[in-house]
Order: sequence, then C-alpha cells, then structure tokens
Amino acid sequence: MTNYITTYCHILSNECWINGEQIALPNANEDITKTLYNHLELDYPKFFKMDRLTKIAFLGVELIKKENTEVLTYKDDEIALLFSNAKSSAETDLNFQSTYQNGGVPSPALFVYTLPNILLGEIAIRNKWYGESVFTISENFDANFFSNYCSVLLNKSEKAVLCGWININNENVETFLFFVEKKDLKQLHLHLNSEQLLELFHTKIKKNG
Amino acid sequence: MDNIKLQLKEQIIKQLNLENVSVDDISDDMPLFGEGLGLDSIDALELIVLMENNYNIKLLNPEEGKEVFQSINSMAAYISKHQQ
Repeated sequence: MTNYITTYCHILSNECWINGEQIALPNANEDITKTLYNHLELDYPKFFKMDRLTKIAFLGVELIKKENTEVLTYKDDEIALLFSNAKSSAETDLNFQSTYQNGGVPSPALFVYTLPNILLGEIAIRNKWYGESVFTISENFDANFFSNYCSVLLNKSEKAVLCGWININNENVETFLFFVEKKDLKQLHLHLNSEQLLELFHTKIKKNG
Repeated sequence: MDNIKLQLKEQIIKQLNLENVSVDDISDDMPLFGEGLGLDSIDALELIVLMENNYNIKLLNPEEGKEVFQSINSMAAYISKHQQ
C-alpha cells in the first residue's frame, strides 16, 4: 500500500520552513521558540514551562496542524506519534544537573523533562491524541526506520502518523517533522519511502549544518 | 510583610516561568492552585524548592504544604513565622 507525506516542516536555529516554503519570521535575533509561539498566536501557558526540546516539537506539530487542517479530523486514537533524535534529552539533563551540582536543590520542573519521550506526552495532552507513541534514539536521521515503522503502523489500526526528528546541540536546532497519511489529500505527490524522506530531510538540514 | 509578598510574587513568576503573568495579576488572597493562578503539582514541588533556596525553610510535611501554599498571604505568613 502507498502512503503519502502530506505535510512537512523544518525548524532550524533561526528559521522555519513548511512544505519547502520559508515562513517569514519577524525577529531573527529572538529565540526561535518564542518567535514561533507569537507567530502562531498560541495561548497555552504550559508551553513556557517546557524544556527547549519539547517546545520545538510542540511548535512543529502546531505548524503542521495549521498547514494541514485534515490532521484535526482524525479520531483521538487514529494518529500515531513516531519521534527520534540523537541527543536524547542531554541539554535538559545538563541543566538539571546544574541545579544541584553546587549544593542547590534539584529542580522538579526540569527533572520532568529528563526523558525525551516526555515531549510525546505533551503533544498528546495538547491534542488529546491517544494513539501509539514511540521515541527512539539514533545516531543519525534514519529514513529507513521512519519509512518502515510508519508502514507497520498504518497497516494496523492507525490512519496517520506524525513523525519527527528533533535534535538540539547547543545553539544548533535540527528539526524535521512530517505527517504521513494513507491518501494524498494535500496533493504534494510525496510517496513515503526512505529516498523521498532523505531528500526532504537534507533539503534544509544540510543547509543548516 | 508587604515586602515579602512582593518578593514572593516576583520569585514565583521567575521560578515557575509564568511568562504572561505580572506581579499585579497576583492578588494576595488569590488561590495559587486550581481556579486562581492555576498552578499544578510540579509547581507545588517548585514552590518547596523556592522556599528552601530563598528562605532556607524546609517543608517536610505534605499536609503542611496544602495550608502554606494556599495563597501569597499564607506563604508570607509562614515565612515570617519561621524566619523569626
């Protein structure tokens, strides 16, 4: 069965692209998470308590929902979440460590985010999605893994899969999110396979690196 | 006491990342949890850390926390009592 990439986005350190089109952001010097939050006109106070990894994943999902409103038509258990990265929650782990390293009291709010799959929970809570969710750690973006795992999920009861590669390394943000459906409703003509995924991934990520 | 209340509001906003909340938005008797400021269980733990880091006060009894963290008034009263 053929599955389709119907929406995709890239979020880099200070720029953002949806379906290959750059989004004009007002303030390139501001933190990208704050800029995008304002750009999307969100009102979700819990956002500000999230760690940076979760914020970026959260914003990527919001961008995809805004671009592809079909996402909102699925039932709450029909969308699976499939995410991966190379650095796990390392940035937050180090921030958390710094709270108690010099005799301070460990921060509970930071501790919550010392697992990368917490971002899946935040996305699920925000959208009330209760489908299958998976977070894996991989040295590099593994197009084969995403393509194969999506196919497995879509051959089961899931009707769509929201996928994401979110890697943060100091100031460098490398994010690629894509939505996979059984029908090519957005007419992007992007078949889900590893070659197609690699091409979409590298179009912007290489530029960033 | 008023000084402690103002200080507490500033510290809570900073510690809990209440991005769009100002000192003026938090009244002294506003419930900190639920319908008031809307804090959650993780915020409660952060308030315990805030008390320890800023006022050297350790709350060891969770039941005590329920009373202490009702509002800015109750927090300030507890701090005044235990710093004497």
